[in-house]
Amino acid sequence: MTEKNVFKTAGLMKEMMKKYNEAGRKAKDDGRLVAWVTAVFPVELIYAAGLFPYYPENFGAVAAARKVAHELSAAAEEKGYARDLCGYARCGIGDAYSEEHPVGKILEPDLLFCCNTQCGSLSKWFEVAGRYYQSPYFLLDSPRVGLETDQLCIEYFVEQLHEMIEFIEKQTGQPFDYDRLREVLNLSNEACQLWNEVLDSAALKPAPFGFFDACFHMAPIVTLRGTRDAVNYYQALKKEIDERIENGITAIPEERHKIYFDHIPCWPKLRWFSDLFASRGALVVASQYTHSWAYSFDLERPLESLAENYTHEFVNRCFEYRVQRKISFMEKYNVDGFVLFSNRSCKPNAFGLYAKSKLIREKTGLPGVVFEADMADLRLFSEDQVLAKLEPFFEQLN
Amino acid sequence: MIGFLLTDVPEELIHAAGFFPYGIIGGSRNLEEANTHLQAWACSYSRSALARALEGELDFLDGLIIPQTCDTMRMLLDLWEHVRPLPYMDNFRLPRQVNRPSAGRYLLGELERIKKGLEDFSGAALDNEIITESIKLYNHNRQLLRRIDALHARYPNQLSSRQLYTLINGSMIMPRNKVNRLLQAVVGELEQNLGPQENGGLVRLLMSGTLLEPFEVLDYIEEFGGTVVADDFQNGYRYIEADVDTDKEPLEALAERQLRRIPSAAFDLEYNPRRFFLTDLARKKEAGGALFLHLTFCEPENFDCYDNLKAMQEQGFPAMRIETQFGGAGLGQIRTRINAFMEMVGGVSK
Ligand code: SF4
Ligand code: SF4
Repeated sequence: MTEKNVFKTAGLMKEMMKKYNEAGRKAKDDGRLVAWVTAVFPVELIYAAGLFPYYPENFGAVAAARKVAHELSAAAEEKGYARDLCGYARCGIGDAYSEEHPVGKILEPDLLFCCNTQCGSLSKWFEVAGRYYQSPYFLLDSPRVGLETDQLCIEYFVEQLHEMIEFIEKQTGQPFDYDRLREVLNLSNEACQLWNEVLDSAALKPAPFGFFDACFHMAPIVTLRGTRDAVNYYQALKKEIDERIENGITAIPEERHKIYFDHIPCWPKLRWFSDLFASRGALVVASQYTHSWAYSFDLERPLESLAENYTHEFVNRCFEYRVQRKISFMEKYNVDGFVLFSNRSCKPNAFGLYAKSKLIREKTGLPGVVFEADMADLRLFSEDQVLAKLEPFFEQLN
Repeated sequence: MIGFLLTDVPEELIHAAGFFPYGIIGGSRNLEEANTHLQAWACSYSRSALARALEGELDFLDGLIIPQTCDTMRMLLDLWEHVRPLPYMDNFRLPRQVNRPSAGRYLLGELERIKKGLEDFSGAALDNEIITESIKLYNHNRQLLRRIDALHARYPNQLSSRQLYTLINGSMIMPRNKVNRLLQAVVGELEQNLGPQENGGLVRLLMSGTLLEPFEVLDYIEEFGGTVVADDFQNGYRYIEADVDTDKEPLEALAERQLRRIPSAAFDLEYNPRRFFLTDLARKKEAGGALFLHLTFCEPENFDCYDNLKAMQEQGFPAMRIETQFGGAGLGQIRTRINAFMEMVGGVSK
């Protein structure tokens, strides 16, 4: 996204996120409990129960994007939290111990909810935070799922959702409202569908929208999924993208290649990456990451449906499934090559990438590369090392 | 033979299905062997296990079960399967919360799934009596090891720390019948030679961590006038501490044992009961200090380390953390640090 090409909806997003942050700060005055949640978590239950969901991972991503993750992390490291822990966790723990709050103070939780579909780092981090803030913590445990639908895992999850609802009822003193849950799920469905239509536009050649745009526009699907605001936002974004298509406005000036990218972006280097790819005429068009929020809930079976969607998310799936899914994105978006990011912070996404890369190259014949860096911490990032991997890759595209 | 990574695995089931459960312990010195597949920032246990497989050192295995204790373990089986497949491979998908009713019901289902997988692989159905027989064999093994552990704690001069942990780890790689006979003989011999309880002036230490490795650490501790009287390692006390109830339906009993195991970083609850467990243990065993032995890059330990060290120190136990690796790296430095720690807790200075 070049400067002159800024989306009009960006303003709307700023407004919405400002409103969301303000609501968080005054939640206590409004008698709402602040609930920490994780990105791939059935937040629909939290919205339905009237709690305020707060995303500490976003806090980490914001700190990373503003290039201060290492400063916050230093405060955690001083206490003995090792530098090799996930950067988001180090930002969150560091903020708790730090006198300085370069991106504002993390919102303190009244309750903590974690789903370990994504990783085990989040659950350990939230345990630590629960002790620090002395707030009750609830883990939704999601055992790893293979290629097939896993009934054992779904049943276990549903049972835990019942346990969680009971836990929430105890905390709020209110009976849980299933009608409200259905309304929230409906809104989630709508937002997810719109978001995926937006993502699909990257398949056009040339495309009006790419992965780096998606990294910017994904905040509402993560945080406001289940609210009217998210639906409104993606309607507006979709409309703007349709206008762009009509007016021939493209994501990058000269799109010669389409690229698949995994997984999370390097937040402090987002602009650097997007400029680098654009300068080579390469548009990153898809990533499992931005495509994570593609839920579809059955309002007749709300809990089962939540369990199916959240336990069977790609990040909780086996090697084979993930390879197949990557390849299916590559086919759908008709890419010319793939770049896989071995993210120091994120073991569940990084381990196995070298074998996956080799297998995908064999199966698709596409050029591909794996590079090492960290999504948050500039001390674990070297432009030279990344370029040494990417330059030969760009050569191969031509 | 069916290999397993340490150690929360229902060995009793594997044994009952007619296989030899083989614990993958000990390190490869060639961790680079794993480099092209597993990043250097994965813990050295996972890297060393994979390296051993890649070197062909584990080709005698017919199968492998990996317990899911952390993200590294969660990713390892698939990768292993891809680069060095074995005829039977499975994850033991442990519940990560252990205090709600759902955990028990799920774990039972998961054990049934593992049982079914083993039956399919062996081609024979497994009945409860056979499982109970295996459980008894393993219970007996644990009882013997616990007796030896208690004898060591009282008479550290008769049986060194290194000898104790060698017996525990040796049990994981030998046929259980045979091991039990040998252990019985060890117990007999020790008990015959008992004099009055005597410490020999050794400083009693508690150790904590995921895996005890390298064993040289134990030599250094003794060299500087210490002995290990308590621990919570997966290849230490955690391995021998809990028996399986033989009066219950065997899978239920196995599930119950798993949920009752002593706390570990992989399954801790919000308030980290492990720190209380450890301080209580230190008190009970009259420890003069606590040494935390953490593998570099071990994520569960890294998250809890601050809390555990603090708890120990607040209860008046001098405590220190040392990072170690599989593969024997950095022994000199480890010895120096243990020397410094032992001086602090009143050991021998050299
Ligand atoms: S970046 Fe990876 S390790 Fe960190 S919170 Fe996200 S999924 Fe977990
Ligand atoms: S040593 Fe730690 S990081 Fe390594 S496999 Fe065990 S629990 Fe996981």
